[in-house]
Amino acid sequence: MIEPKKFWWMIKKELISLKRHPARLVSILAFPIIMILLFGYGMGGEMTDLPIVVVSQSHGDLTDLTLDTIKDTETYHVVEVIDDMDEGKERVDSGEVKAAIILPSDYDKDSSQQKSVTLYLDSSDQMASQILESSTQGIFYRLSNMVASQTSVSTKDADIEPSVIHSLNNFKDDISLHINRIYGNIKYIDFLVPAILGMTIMMSCMMGMGATIAGERETGELARLFMTPTSVSTVIGGKIAAKLLIELVRALILIFMAVLLFNVSIKGGFLQTFIVLVIGALCFVGFGIMLSARTQTQEDYAQISLPFSMPMMFVSGVFYPIETMPWILQKLAYVFPLTYLNDAMRGIMLKGQTLGDVWLDLVVLLGFTVLFFIIGVKRFNRDV
Amino acid sequence: MNAIETKNLTKVYSNNFTAVNSLNLEIPEKTIFGMLGPNGAGKTTTIKMLTCLIQPTSGKATVGGYDVQKNPDEVRNLLGMVPQQVSLYKDLTVMENSQLCADYYGVPQDERDSRIEDLMELVDIKYAKDKRVGQLSGGQKQKASLVASLVHRPEILFLDEPTIGLDPTTKRTLWDLIRELNDNGHTIILCSHDMYEVDMLCDNVGIINTGNLVAYDTPQGLKDSLLESNKKEMTEALSQISSENDVSTSTKEDIEKLSLRKMSFLLKNQNDEIIDSIRKSEDVKSIEVAHNGRINLRIDSFDDMAVQNVLNEIIASGGVIKSITTEEPSLEDVFIKATAEVNEDDRA
Repeated sequence: MIEPKKFWWMIKKELISLKRHPARLVSILAFPIIMILLFGYGMGGEMTDLPIVVVSQSHGDLTDLTLDTIKDTETYHVVEVIDDMDEGKERVDSGEVKAAIILPSDYDKDSSQQKSVTLYLDSSDQMASQILESSTQGIFYRLSNMVASQTSVSTKDADIEPSVIHSLNNFKDDISLHINRIYGNIKYIDFLVPAILGMTIMMSCMMGMGATIAGERETGELARLFMTPTSVSTVIGGKIAAKLLIELVRALILIFMAVLLFNVSIKGGFLQTFIVLVIGALCFVGFGIMLSARTQTQEDYAQISLPFSMPMMFVSGVFYPIETMPWILQKLAYVFPLTYLNDAMRGIMLKGQTLGDVWLDLVVLLGFTVLFFIIGVKRFNRDV
Repeated sequence: MNAIETKNLTKVYSNNFTAVNSLNLEIPEKTIFGMLGPNGAGKTTTIKMLTCLIQPTSGKATVGGYDVQKNPDEVRNLLGMVPQQVSLYKDLTVMENSQLCADYYGVPQDERDSRIEDLMELVDIKYAKDKRVGQLSGGQKQKASLVASLVHRPEILFLDEPTIGLDPTTKRTLWDLIRELNDNGHTIILCSHDMYEVDMLCDNVGIINTGNLVAYDTPQGLKDSLLESNKKEMTEALSQISSENDVSTSTKEDIEKLSLRKMSFLLKNQNDEIIDSIRKSEDVKSIEVAHNGRINLRIDSFDDMAVQNVLNEIIASGGVIKSITTEEPSLEDVFIKATAEVNEDDRA
């Protein structure tokens, strides 16, 4: 039996509490913004302005063109152009710069001989060195095509790590590759944001339920409600309604901030993204209720919920595609609701799919929700 | 009619701890019942079962004629409870908390606010109605809790340590309030460790220990029965002494303690003559004059006329009494004895 007045009181109570604790309100609003900033800038950004030196031992048009191209590439921050090769290597060894691009003395000579450019690389910084390598390869591939001369690049790692020398032979234009990006040019941040939205909703719903159910059980407020002729489902329903409302506002802020800060595209439209987030929030509120059904204190709840929320964060494909994970984690991923929420969110936001296209994810999420609520209400310990 | 009846009411927790063990209790309606018992005796568990907060393991309990297990909602409508720990929402005002409770009890909307205002006036908290509960003092919180508990006009009110931590003035205000509520027809179940409070307020007192009811009577009845049992113990001890020649001094002192009762006077015109004549009185077993002039006597506990006789003696010898105290068995003595007996039984 639904008792609207009692539902409304739970919502009203939450809103009054927030209104009277501006600090709490700020933290609720700031949390999604911090999450987006943290993950967006911290993990989703691209590496640019990596410090390098260029050792140039020749002069001429090709050298000038090469230097200009390197300087114009966002990946590099050219600290200095020098002519001493040993100094260049030293500056990499000392860690002052990430790499030295060494142009040979015969670089500008018009000869049919192979020209060997060396990328002296600090390979201890795995992320930076990978990016420098591919970006440098790209530049010289383009240059060699442009001048159609025999220029080649070789990369040589600094002796911080075992040296590996890659020799890259000329690329010839025999085979042409056409890349057809079916969802457009997607950056890592675009991949990350839909899942960050899902993860933030998951974390705040699960943490919040601990405070509302286990916390009130601990302080005796729940006992007072249960001393009135009110059913468990009405009390829990009221709590859910209140929690959901706050989470929806959060979801709106999250989406808004993601668009504002990172210019993330929402191909499937705002409304559909919002609906998916609402379904996700409902599911995790249910998860929280199920876990708090028998916990007596907030401390207990925190201990119980952590083993669920932490693995879910890392396994459900928030940061890396599920397919790249070991098989056991892949299997585990499919029992976590966050996986389905992430999939649906990416479908709507990145691929421009509709709710109908991600129906399977939504059905699974709703299935989890129903299951959590049934277990939660059945197991709910009215005894206080 | 009884407001509350329990029959073999038992609660065994999941860790196999028996908190309440076959409790049989009857609380007549419109009375104030004091529930006493040491910590961990099973009082709170009993209250929780009666207020439908936990389920009994076995046995039966009825509140206002309704079975707590079969008709919990009817029982809940009859009950109000002021818990030891104030469980109102701290961020809401007194008014908002009371409104929330009223709505949860289904109080008609058109009556709600006027009822709350009336109750606030009754307990004198109206001046703080728009204050948040978190900002109130201990006494104000208890009053706010009372308003929230009474808003649905419960017939039966449970008060769990309602005056703990309150200053004497606030305590007395609350006591007056409890009496007033009782006069208005509420049955009140008072759980307290304050023996004076229970003695003063309650019509009946039940002492619960290790989940059982170990004593049940009016406060005076309990004190009288303590005297009776002391008398019986002394008679037994005396008959034992006469059969044994060798009795230690400590045993003698113990027996003496049971038979004697303290009485003390302060006279306006104290002199040796008066003291001598008191000393000669048959009822006076010992006499000493303290440095502050107070005359401390020990008289026979079991002689109903002893106090009267001593007073007559003082007046006859021309003494003018300024103050007088007699030591009566207190409810605390009853409590200690009742709970100690069970503990001894347990050990045996």
